[in-house]
Order: sequence, then C-alpha cells, then structure tokens
Amino acid sequence: MKLYVKFNVTATCKKVLQEQLDKFQLKYDLLGFNEVEINEDISPAGMKKIVDGFSQYGIEIIDRPKNLLIQKIKDAITELVYMEDRLPVVKISTYLSEKLGYGYGYISNLFSEVTFTSIENYIILQKTERAKQLIITNGLTITEIAWKLNYSSVAHFSNQFKSATGLTPTAFQRIINKRREALINVEID
Amino acid sequence: MHILLADDDEDDCLFFKEAFEDIKIKTNLRIVNDGVELMNYLTRTGIKLPHILFLDLNMPRKSGLDCLVEIKSMKHLRDIPIAIYSTSASEADIEDTFVKGANIYIKKPGDFGALKKTLEQIVTINWQYHTSGLNKEHFLLSI
Amino acid sequence: MKLKWVSKAFFIKGLFVLSLFLLIFISSISYKHITSLTESTQLLVHSYKIQIELEQLMSYMKEAETGQRGFIISHDTVFLEPYKSAHERVNGSFLILKYLTAEQKEQQPNLDSLLHLLNYRFELLETSLVLAVNAEMNHNELDLNLRRGRDVMDLLRMQVNKINEVEMGYFKLHQRKYEHEIFFTPIIAFLLLMFTLMVFTFSFIKINRDLVVLIKSNKQLIIKTESINHAEIIGEFCTTQWDPETHRYAFSDNLYRMLGVEPQSFEPTIENYIKFVHPEDRKTVEESYEQTTKENKINPLSYRIIRKDGELRYFRSRGKAVSEGQRNITHIGIIKDVTQMHLNSIELEERNHALEQSIKELESFNRIASHDLQEPLRKIQTFISRISEKEALTLSDSGKEYFEKILTSVTRMRVLIDDLLLFSRTTKTEKVFEPADLNQLLENALQELSHDIEEKNAVFFIPKLPVLNVIAFQIQQLFMNLIGNSLKYSKPGISPKIRIECKKVMAQENPILKPLNHNAFYKISVIDNGLGFEQEYAENIFNLFQRLHHEKEFPGSGIGLSICKKIVENHSGFITAEGIPGIGSSMHIFLPK
Repeated sequence: MKLYVKFNVTATCKKVLQEQLDKFQLKYDLLGFNEVEINEDISPAGMKKIVDGFSQYGIEIIDRPKNLLIQKIKDAITELVYMEDRLPVVKISTYLSEKLGYGYGYISNLFSEVTFTSIENYIILQKTERAKQLIITNGLTITEIAWKLNYSSVAHFSNQFKSATGLTPTAFQRIINKRREALINVEID
Repeated sequence: MHILLADDDEDDCLFFKEAFEDIKIKTNLRIVNDGVELMNYLTRTGIKLPHILFLDLNMPRKSGLDCLVEIKSMKHLRDIPIAIYSTSASEADIEDTFVKGANIYIKKPGDFGALKKTLEQIVTINWQYHTSGLNKEHFLLSI
Repeated sequence: MKLKWVSKAFFIKGLFVLSLFLLIFISSISYKHITSLTESTQLLVHSYKIQIELEQLMSYMKEAETGQRGFIISHDTVFLEPYKSAHERVNGSFLILKYLTAEQKEQQPNLDSLLHLLNYRFELLETSLVLAVNAEMNHNELDLNLRRGRDVMDLLRMQVNKINEVEMGYFKLHQRKYEHEIFFTPIIAFLLLMFTLMVFTFSFIKINRDLVVLIKSNKQLIIKTESINHAEIIGEFCTTQWDPETHRYAFSDNLYRMLGVEPQSFEPTIENYIKFVHPEDRKTVEESYEQTTKENKINPLSYRIIRKDGELRYFRSRGKAVSEGQRNITHIGIIKDVTQMHLNSIELEERNHALEQSIKELESFNRIASHDLQEPLRKIQTFISRISEKEALTLSDSGKEYFEKILTSVTRMRVLIDDLLLFSRTTKTEKVFEPADLNQLLENALQELSHDIEEKNAVFFIPKLPVLNVIAFQIQQLFMNLIGNSLKYSKPGISPKIRIECKKVMAQENPILKPLNHNAFYKISVIDNGLGFEQEYAENIFNLFQRLHHEKEFPGSGIGLSICKKIVENHSGFITAEGIPGIGSSMHIFLPK
C-alpha cells in the first residue's frame, strides 16, 4: 500500500526537541521556533549527552550568532516557499529585511559570505526542491505547479528547473517513477 | 570536503585535480583507477567516507555502472552522492543511470573552464544539501 | 443428425413389430375361421351319415318286408334268406346309428323308441312268417298282422323323420352359431389387411426414400474421399484412423507414398510404422501412441522418419477423437510432411541470426567508434583551453588566434560525430512501438527547449494530438528537431509564433501517401513565421549534412532534418516541407493511424 506523506516540519521538529529535552528531565522554555531557554546549569558532560541526543535527529546547537542569523534567513525562505497556498507576490528583499529586522544589503552579504551562495540562488534552490516534492506527489500537472510556485509561465518554470537540475520537470518525474518501480520489483524478487 | 574520483584515464585525472585546486571551497581529493580498486577502498573498515564520489563509466575490470548499482545496494554507502562522469551518452542512457541511483550526471566538457565551473557548481549544491537538510534522494543534477 | 437416425431405427423396428403382431392376429383369426369351417363340415357330414344310415335302415326294413311278402305269397324258403340278412343288416345299421349318436343325449330316447319299434316290427314279421307257414292260415290274423305291420312301418318312418329332424335341428343351430361367428371375421380381416397393406406401403415408401438419400450420401462420400485422397497427395499429408474397439489402424494411401512405398504395401500397424521412424525419435512416437490408446489423449507431435530410399523427412502429426455421445468411435490423425517448411525455417533462423549479429556488431562498432573518436578530440579541446588559459601571457596574438581556430574545428568535429551517432541510433530494430500520447511527447519537447523558448518569447498554438503506436522517444526527438529549427531560424527581433495543426487524411486523396500501404494518416504540421526557405530546396534539406545557411550564421551540422526523415520512415510515414522566404516554413509529417 502506498502512502504519500507530507511533513509539517515545524511541528515535527518542535515535538522532537521537546521529547529530547524531556528525556534529560530539564526545565526549559521554548521561545519561538529555534530558541530554547534552559532554566538550569548543565555540565559539559551533560551538554555532550544533549548534543549526542540531538545529533541523532540532525538537530545542531548553533553557537555563533552569525550562523544563527543565517539559519533564520534560511528558515524564513523555507517558510515562504513551503506555503500551502500560492506563493505570495512579494519582493524578497523587503520581506526578509522586515522579517529579520536587518537591512537587505547586510543580510545578503552575510549570507553569501557564509554559505558561498547568493540569497537568490538559495531561493531558486528551495523552490526547485519544493517543485520536486510537488512533482513526486503526482497530484498536480506541471502547469499547476508552475502557477502555484508563482512562475510567470510554464516555460519559465521548466527553464528554471532545467537550469537548476539539468533535467526537465517531466524527465525528473519519469526518473523518480522508474526508480520506484525498480524498488518494487526488487522487493518482489 | 572529501572527494573521491574513480577514473582510469590519466589525463582526465590530471584535469580533475587541477580544476579542484582552483575551486574556493576546501576539498580533499583522492583518486582510484578502476572499479575493483574503488570497491575495495569503499568497503575497507575505518576509512572516512567521501562527501561526493565522481565515477567514470568506462573503466576496465569493473564498469562504473556496476559499481554504481553495487554501492547503492549497500546500506552504509547508499547515502554518498554519486556523480557519473562520462564522455558521451544518449539521453536514454543518462536517464538510465539516474534511475539506477546516480545523483549527478556530468558530460565531460572539452573546455577546462567549463569543467571548473561544473565542479564548483556540484560541490556548492552538494554542500547546500548537506547544510540545509534537503532531501538527498531528490538530488538530481544533469550537466 | 444423431437423434434422427436413432429415432428412425426405433421407428422402423416399431413398425416391424406392429406389422408382425398384425400378421399374427390375422393368422389366428384365419385359423379360427378355418377350424370353424372344418367343424361345420364335419357336423354336416355327421348329419348326413345319420340320415343315410337311417334310410339304409328303412331300406333294409323294406327288404325284410319284401322277403316276408315273397315268402307269404310263394312259401318259398328262398325269400327267407334276404329276410334274415336284412334283419342282420338292420341290427348292424342300428348299431352304427347308436355309435353315431353316442354323444347326442337328446337323440337317445328317440333311438330307444326306434329300437323298440324295430323290435316290434320284427316280432310282427316273425309272427307273420309263422302264420304263413301254418297251413291253417287264419287270413284274418295275417291281415291283422300285416296291417299292424304297416302301421309300425309308418311309425318307424315317423321316428326316422323325427330323428332326422332333431339332427337337422342340431345342424341348423350349429350353422347359425357358425354364421354368427364368421360374420365379422372377414370384415375385420379385410380391414386389418388393408391397414397392413397401408403400413407396408408406407414403410416401403419411407425405406425407398431413405435409400435414395443413402445413395446420394454415398455418392458424395465417394467424391469427398476422392478429393481428400487428391488433397493428401498435393498437400503432402496423410490421414490415419484408429478404432478404439478393435484397436486397429487404417492408413490412407498417401501415408505409404509419403514413406516411399506402394500404397497398402504393409499391414497398418504401429509396429510397421515405427520401422520408418528415425531411431532417436522412436521412443517419443511410441509414448505418444501409448497415450493415445490408453488415455485417449492425442497431442501434436513432431518427429523424423527415414523413407525407404533413405531420405530423411520431418513429420508433424495431430489428432482428434471423434465421439458419439460418451463413446469414442474413432481417432483421426493427420500427418504432414513439413520437411520443406522445417528446412526453410532453419535457413531463415540462421539468416536472421546472422543479421542480428551483424546489426549488433555494427551498433557496438558505432558506439565504440564514436566514444573512442570523441575521447582524443575532447582531450585536444581541453588541453588547448588549458594552454590558452595558462600560457595566455606568453602566447602571441596569432598564436591565440590559431588555437581558436583549432578549437573551432575540433568542436565542429565533435558535434559531427555526435550527430552521426544520433543518426545511426535512429533505427527501428529492437525498438518497441507502444501507444503514446503525442500531447505528452510534444510537452516534453517544449520543456527541453524551454531555454530558447523563453529567450525568444516564442508563442505556441497547439491542438489536441492523438494517441498513436510509436517509438516514444523518437517522436519526441522529431518534435524537438522541428520546433528547434523553427526557433533557430526565426526572424531576428521578432518573437516566433509557431502553430501546430493536426488533421486526418486519406491515402486516396494524397498520391504521395499511396506507396505506404496504409489507408488513413494523421497530418501534423509545424508552421512558423521564421525566415522560410526557397521551395526548390524543399526536398534537398532532408539530405544528410545538407544546409541552406552558412555555419557562421547558424550553427548546426545539417543532420537534424535527416534524422526527422528517418524517424518518420521508421513509422511508415512521410515528411514534406514548404517554405516561403521571408514569410515562414511549414513542415508536414504524415503518420499512419
């Protein structure tokens, strides 16, 4: 039986974080999406345990403010791209600078310095990833996906997808489907 | 970043090495010359697994395609992103290597500058996948 | 058919039994009639015998009287002799009468009376004789005696009559009974006879008709058998029949001829047949025979035989059990000499195999050649670009220029090799024709060209395309090449408007489609508003490496349209081009439905 699942990343991560912290019986408060205030002191050994526990789930403790900001930028973009409804028509520079409270110039420079990519490229990357997700869940046509992700035309969408991945959306779909079939056959064998 | 290259052609290995030297991101390159050597290296215990594997299809003894299938069937090696690096191929063959599990397909470029650009792009995107927690199974790139 | 014959059999048997019964019935009636007749006759005879005997008795009586009279008159003893003998005779007669009427109770008192009278009469006669001998004849006593005698005679006569009457009464009674009995008999017998005659006539007509049908069937059978015999000879096959009850085979004449011997020259048995079977195949044939005879399974079988003249032939046999209801009435087998077919198919297989081999070799040659040709070229490219970069400062301008030109040539050669490889890969062999949605293939092609489409702001008008049996990726390539051309050769600065049309056409209306052996085609057209071309080159452009523009103006090897043509030909279709310089071009492809 095939199940198609969608992840509410925010809820999942929060739950995992809480479970992990509860495991260590720590008194804590969750401030926002990625801030945790722990209301007691922790020994280095205890810290190590927490880090290990977190690492199983890919949770990292960011200890530099710069990286924190980068993470916030990424999260903001992710939130924007993975909206349920059609992506809003918004100037990204305004959106980010308003959301994070810094000038866009500063944000974009910092981003490029740390991640070696521009924000625009990162947005394209995330959009492409979302497109891949939508393509795989097989519910929408290419045209519908292009519209949902706020592209001006199907050609524009195909073009960007193709420049990002080297494959057309339908080719991508075909490959993933064939991979699935191959897996099923292996299981049968 | 640890990079592993499997290619039997001396000249291509030379190009590859020189291209990587010119790239901004810090990389650690290791080269093997045929399929059997590759599998032996990967299955040795205690080695540090590469962040990306570049795999030439036309190799003596064991072909790149066989290595690809074998690596993707091993649990501890399955997650390594694999870039197939080949001279020529039809669209159908390219699709076939993707279906068999390759993440990246590179048609060997004739221009050195193009090669540099390509490798840079790959390394960058791979790092993005690594740091942003993106789904590696959807990592497909054809250059 | 079956039921008809079965009911016919019953019908005839029933009819026969009925007729038999009727006959027996008539016979018994006749017999009864005859016995009655005989009885009557006997009775009549009996009655007359009695009558005669009675008369006889009377006559003897009269003789006695005559004797008595003679003696009385003449006193001659001569007359006493007839008297005595008559007396004896009367007694005799009476005994006979007594015997004749022994069974008739009614007559007994009459006879007693008669006897009494006879005795009395003889008494009287004796008395008269005694009186006559006496000389002192008392005439009055004699008179009285004679007169009394006369009366007794009358009484006798009356008694005799009475007896006769009784006898007659018997006779009449019997006669009446007899007439009564035989009154209906002739009528019934007559009716039955008529009925039987009808039945016989009817049966005769039916049997006659059936006989006619039978003769006709027979004739047809003979004709059919003859034609089968001839068919067997011409078709090089033969038939066998096996009776499951007698376990005997019948072989048609042609079986013997197929084995190289005279028809019916040996007993049709499985042992004799197996003598001709190739030693290695004998076991198979025997096992098949066992299966047929014991389990009633008749499987197709192939085996070899060696004819009388030593020639090896290949036989194939099949069989069928012909049954009537639950029973198998016969097994029919057909054996065909497939030697020629067998040899042909072996030859064909070998040739196919050789062809496949050479195709595979050619294909791998192609692939390897192109790969091996590409490698050195690529290296030249790469090394030259490396040199240009590294030694940029030490190279002179002309040095740089020369390297550029080398690079250009090498690049062109690589493109050429790639295109040639693509062309040689556009074959039909080992490719699968599957139903594919042309709309999807067109969409894929457009996505592949999305870069140029966006760059040039191309606009498309696309109808609904059908689903056809095609090699999917070749048709996709076809669309890509045609639309790619339209994009490439668009008027600079003007956004390309590309219209795609699809309509059905019939081969009769378009003479160019005639040689393609299909009735209906889809005509798919790609019409653009690009640079167009001169119509006189319309056929030329499909030739390999044929270009209408200079390399510097538009890159390309000239192989795109040749590939299109090859793809269309793989699908048993046709491609044509129309061009008007400065207005645009139209490419028409015809694909069979």
